Amino acid sequence: MYILQNAARNVWRNRGRNMLLGAMMLVVIATTVIAMMITSTSSGIIEDYKGRFGSEVTFTPDIEALREDASADGDGGPMRLEMPTIDAEQYLAFGDSEYLKSADYTASTGIVPTDLTVVDEDLGGGGSGMPMGGRPGQQEQEQEPDDAVSYMAQLMGGSFEEFDDGSRVLADGEMPDELNEVIVSSELAELNDLETGDTFTATGALTDPDGGDPKAISYEDLAVVGVYDDLTEEYGQTPVQNAYANTRNQVLTNVDTVLENYDSAYGGIQVSAAYYLTSPDVLEEFEAEVRAEGLPEVFEVTTDESAYETIVAPVEGLKSISTTFMIVVLALGGVIIALLSSTAIRERKYEIGVLRAMGMKKSLVSLGLWVESLILTATCLVAGLALGALVAQPVTDTLLAGQVAAAETATEAPGTMGGGMGMGGGGGGMPMGGGAGGFGPAGGTTDAEPLTELAVGLSPAGIGQIALVAFVLATLAGVVAISRITKYEPMKILAERN
Amino acid sequence: MTTTTPAPTETAMLALRDVTYRYPGTHRDVLRGISASFTSGAVHTIVGKSGSGKSTLLSLIAGLDTAGSGEVSFNGTSLAAADRDRYRARDIGVVFQGFNLVTNVSAVQNIVLSMNIAGSPVKDKTEHAYALLERLGIGREDAARPVLKLSGGQQQRVGIARALSHDPAVIIADEPTGALDEKTEEEILGIFTHLAHVEKRCVIIVTHSKRVTQIADVVLGIKSGKIGVVRSDR
Ligand SMILES: Nc1ncnc2c1ncn2[C@@H]1O[C@H](COP(=O)(O)OP(=O)(O)OP(=O)(O)O)[C@@H](O)[C@H]1O
Ligand SMILES: [Mg+2]
Repeated sequence: MYILQNAARNVWRNRGRNMLLGAMMLVVIATTVIAMMITSTSSGIIEDYKGRFGSEVTFTPDIEALREDASADGDGGPMRLEMPTIDAEQYLAFGDSEYLKSADYTASTGIVPTDLTVVDEDLGGGGSGMPMGGRPGQQEQEQEPDDAVSYMAQLMGGSFEEFDDGSRVLADGEMPDELNEVIVSSELAELNDLETGDTFTATGALTDPDGGDPKAISYEDLAVVGVYDDLTEEYGQTPVQNAYANTRNQVLTNVDTVLENYDSAYGGIQVSAAYYLTSPDVLEEFEAEVRAEGLPEVFEVTTDESAYETIVAPVEGLKSISTTFMIVVLALGGVIIALLSSTAIRERKYEIGVLRAMGMKKSLVSLGLWVESLILTATCLVAGLALGALVAQPVTDTLLAGQVAAAETATEAPGTMGGGMGMGGGGGGMPMGGGAGGFGPAGGTTDAEPLTELAVGLSPAGIGQIALVAFVLATLAGVVAISRITKYEPMKILAERN
Repeated sequence: MTTTTPAPTETAMLALRDVTYRYPGTHRDVLRGISASFTSGAVHTIVGKSGSGKSTLLSLIAGLDTAGSGEVSFNGTSLAAADRDRYRARDIGVVFQGFNLVTNVSAVQNIVLSMNIAGSPVKDKTEHAYALLERLGIGREDAARPVLKLSGGQQQRVGIARALSHDPAVIIADEPTGALDEKTEEEILGIFTHLAHVEKRCVIIVTHSKRVTQIADVVLGIKSGKIGVVRSDR
């Protein structure tokens, strides 16, 4: 088709004029590329965040409501708070919800290891009477005279976060997997010459909430499958110092082992669960479900909004900045391109007049002009993609740094930034590769670190969208040109020249 | 087919009937009731003073514009109703007074473009264009140069070559020898008479040149918007 050839030649011949138009298109396309990269990557991160870190659900007892209840039926004596509880069976039942992505359980109870010497044994035992409910650390401790039971150590199921953050390291053997498999601290192992393969027995007692006699329990044949080095504080959590509170005496196992002696009629085994919603949006549905299954009204069901905000706010801010910027550039660029091509076509009026005088149809002249702007745009598209890809990352980093600072002041998020969530990858599709672990439930509630690194990338679909933008630009330039030439009859165009 | 086609007869190919024309935005008719006919196989010249409306008349014949009233018809069909783009592209070849070449390309490309627009069936259009230009005295080297780098006379000959490139039935030329020396003028006129007398085309030339009128079969004169036959050898 000679129109094509001709158009290609014309693009080259009019390169001076096309350079200006091309530069404008390049700016528009490169900006669009950057904006789209940022937008699509941010969207991916937000979605990924929702799906993964995704909203840990917390059941928090409403202390205020409890106080009111207590003082309402109080008799003037010292106020006693009756801490509500959620029993282990309920915890497990809630965990089956379809709205959950995952549920992590922990269970613990006090034990007295038979025939073992524990660390700080001379400080005596402790524990018992720990009310359960909510999450550890959130309930108010009820100081009850501890007459019945004294524990020398803790048997803890499912509490392995310290191994993730490195404050506990497996020194020998393997992690407990099967029923009755345990690992012990190296201190406890040394005191007792415990080695992998040894077994021991521990006794315990379940307390009767109605004040009856405790129920004696025992864990037979706990098999040591590993020994861990413990770098945590010996008394990190509690002000009390005794053998029971010493973290070196924590015998770690799985939840099922601890729950072997569970009896719903008794207390003494603390169970807690961390639930992760499939998405923050299903909180209400999940709450309705757990209420129906008997979660007491006094518990508030909430998600960790602040952590979500800390991480997602900068990304969302970035996304909206780049979207706004893209729209502005597209609009401005569109106007400038229209103006430029309108001037360009006025300069080429004579040429068009000649072609029309030679009998070339308006439609063909128009097609030629459109093909010209397509060729120009295609060139700019390639250059724009390259340029955009080149500068997208530095631009993103700068913008994101600003957003993180803004988010930090807004939420006063604790903790220093840095580290961040290293999102690796970058090739086709969402670059969600590396840093998967970084998003894991942070254990705590609000110490989520904001996202400080965002590896931008562009999917084939994104490239398609940009090509579409380019196509629209080319057509815009073409349409402006065409609408101008169709106003002229060849005779008039030629006459104006003479 | 074994029947021999009869030699083309000299029939009225183009006919003007009571044509008037006024440029938009002006108050004077440049052409006032012009009737004339142009036949194939003959060289027609149109003479008249500068500003008398010769070029205007040609632009109506060329289908670049339409008559205010009256009718221009080609082979019996009114141009007002015809596809004038196609008519310009295939049926006629125009040599403009101001050349009107596509300025940013070479002479050869001008000719190839014209052939393309006409949908010429010639296979090697570039070679055809070179040959045609050669016939009009433009060598290959000049033919490949941008037309604006050619002399006025050379540009005029490129214009003529372009008008002939697609073998049109009608050739219209506005002062085609104005920029040429006598020898070249003679050569060009030879081509025109050959086109008319041998190839039986309809040739219409607007000219101030005595020499051109001498070789014409029909001479028409324009004055005060009217046309009249000055001489006819038919
Ligand atoms: N585009 C135009 N708009 C208005 N008037 C025009 C236009 N073109 C030509 N005219 C007028 O129409 C008349 C005829 O012009 P035309 O060009 O046909 O003359 P011509 O016979 O070809 O002259 P010349 O021998 O100088 O080429 C002139 O008076 C001219 O001024
Ligand atoms: Mg004239």
